[in-house]
Amino acid sequence: MDDLIATIKQVLAETDMVLGWTRSAAAGVAVPARFHTPREAEAAVFDSTCVHNLAVHLPRLKDRRVGIVAKGCDVKSIVQLIAEREIERDRVRVIGVRCPGMVDVKKAWRCFGFGKKVEDAGGQVAMEGKTVAREEILLAKCRGCRDAVPVIRDAAVGGVQGQSVAAAGELAGIRKRFASMSVDERRRFWRDQFSRCIRCYACREACPLCFCRDVCAMQTREPHWTGGGVDARQSEMAQLIRISHMAGRCTGCEECERACPVGIPLMLLLEEQNALIEELFGYRAGTDPEATPPLLTFDAGKDAGGGGL
Amino acid sequence: MRFIASDGLPRLLERLREDGAEVWAPRVVRDTLNTVLFSPWSEGDEIETGAYSTLSAKQLVLPATERLFAYRYRLTAEGEKIEIEAAGPGMHAGETVVFGARACDAKALGVLDALFLSTPGQSYNDPHYRTRRAGLTVITLACTTCDSACFCSSFGAGPAETAGSDLILYPVGGGYLAEGFSDRGRELAALDIFEDSSQEKPALAETAVLELAGLEQKLLDIFDDLDFWRGATEQCLSCGYCTYACPTCHCFNIFDEMQGDRDGERCRSWDACMFYTYTLETSGHNPRPEIAHRYRNRMGHKFSYYPANQGEILCTGCGRCIRGCPAGVDIREVLKAAAARPATPGGALQQETES
Repeated sequence: MDDLIATIKQVLAETDMVLGWTRSAAAGVAVPARFHTPREAEAAVFDSTCVHNLAVHLPRLKDRRVGIVAKGCDVKSIVQLIAEREIERDRVRVIGVRCPGMVDVKKAWRCFGFGKKVEDAGGQVAMEGKTVAREEILLAKCRGCRDAVPVIRDAAVGGVQGQSVAAAGELAGIRKRFASMSVDERRRFWRDQFSRCIRCYACREACPLCFCRDVCAMQTREPHWTGGGVDARQSEMAQLIRISHMAGRCTGCEECERACPVGIPLMLLLEEQNALIEELFGYRAGTDPEATPPLLTFDAGKDAGGGGL
Repeated sequence: MRFIASDGLPRLLERLREDGAEVWAPRVVRDTLNTVLFSPWSEGDEIETGAYSTLSAKQLVLPATERLFAYRYRLTAEGEKIEIEAAGPGMHAGETVVFGARACDAKALGVLDALFLSTPGQSYNDPHYRTRRAGLTVITLACTTCDSACFCSSFGAGPAETAGSDLILYPVGGGYLAEGFSDRGRELAALDIFEDSSQEKPALAETAVLELAGLEQKLLDIFDDLDFWRGATEQCLSCGYCTYACPTCHCFNIFDEMQGDRDGERCRSWDACMFYTYTLETSGHNPRPEIAHRYRNRMGHKFSYYPANQGEILCTGCGRCIRGCPAGVDIREVLKAAAARPATPGGALQQETES
């Protein structure tokens, strides 16, 4: 951690704060933290429980100079926020970290109970003496990760090249089952999934690219896109509105799915859409800060048809 | 004491169903990692007796959404008329049994009763809540283990709490000791599915204790200390998970679902004080524009204003908000920091000056 702490202190000299992680004794894993002073930075950690995508805070800190400790996938969100002109490149200092692949903390808690200290060493993840093979407990996005090397960075910790992450395995569990479903089965599947939605909007709030936040179409009463009640049909509609607004914007960080308290597999929808966007526009969100996102390419003169608007 | 073998539980629940009750129990949701929800149980369904449920059992008295009444506009020979059709509780009308609540869940029902059921000197009595509450039987599973998010011992008896429970089951070898704490509970324990036992009750879990003394006043004393609240909410993302998972949070919104221009239903839904829209006024003004304002209200309501008004703290230490927070916020850390914070000079609850 010495290298990380020293780097955060350097970055603090030219910023107002650095977003990173510290260890929580109660949770036994890393939790997000803000470091404003070199003294606070002494508590910084980086390990394979740093699952959170801290880029979510950047749109709310537009008027500040912010340093951020970021994994390769988190950096994609930063890149996309820059491409969408939500944040300014020169107000952000990116500390790229060598990511070993993140432990699915929820899965670990299911295996071992909440709050047990997660030890990750030698290809095994251990909690209170019990062990699980690393590749079995990594987040889905970490398998076959294409983005471990941060696209942009102002400082690096642990050497950002030569990352090793688990290879993409065969589709497992729900992904495998979903892939073999007919359209009708999928319709029933989603109605069943959304029957659990409680409309807490954790999916939206945890998403770095859902920057409309307080004025979201999922929640407005005027216009009345979706009902105010909690109902599977309405929740499905609300989520589809959110997801279609993520076209060409979602970097696949999986924070919506991680944040969902009732385990709705939102990434099944987003992965499908992301693949479609790549196929149609040759665009992968978060990989090029200079590229124009597909949703921003609309030309009123050319694209509206029939001689313009 | 009475005893029920583990394999007698499904028989007990099936018996209750045969008698007309709807039975709810905590069950792991298929395909999810650790989502455990109270849901309707029928024979053959597995019950999760280990992991804590993701959401509390409050939906059984305060559903996420309910219809209050429907209205229809009619043009008749006598002129324009609005017909109102009252809705019932909108759920199972008879008895509901919730199995597998924990002491913290059961206690929370009593905390909600303080608001929704009128007591001498108070005037509010919610008919929808009252109907559901009167038909609810709570079978509690006593906790012999806990995790690091549990802090129920901060609020009275902790795992040994009996308030709100009709029947408590204490895990022992091969099954559960049963003790009734209401007429309904004692009636259940007398059923022939149970047998007499001379076994001792097991030792219950010892959960973390949060020091609450002085907090009610301290939260008023630091009301104007926005630096504190901004610092405390740096990580909060302002989603509604903690309020919706909380067994004592009960804020709701009332709105009309229109069908066409003139007909519709008036509904009530959970609302969360952490949402920007919660206090957004028609004028566009929002008295709680920042997360810091909203979280301050959340803490103040739970640990200061509600105890002052209703005599109950709006928290039973169930730990759900800690386990499930996507940003890793721990309410105990915020309250500890609040307790240690010096009072704002000039006193409490002054007019806010910032916009």
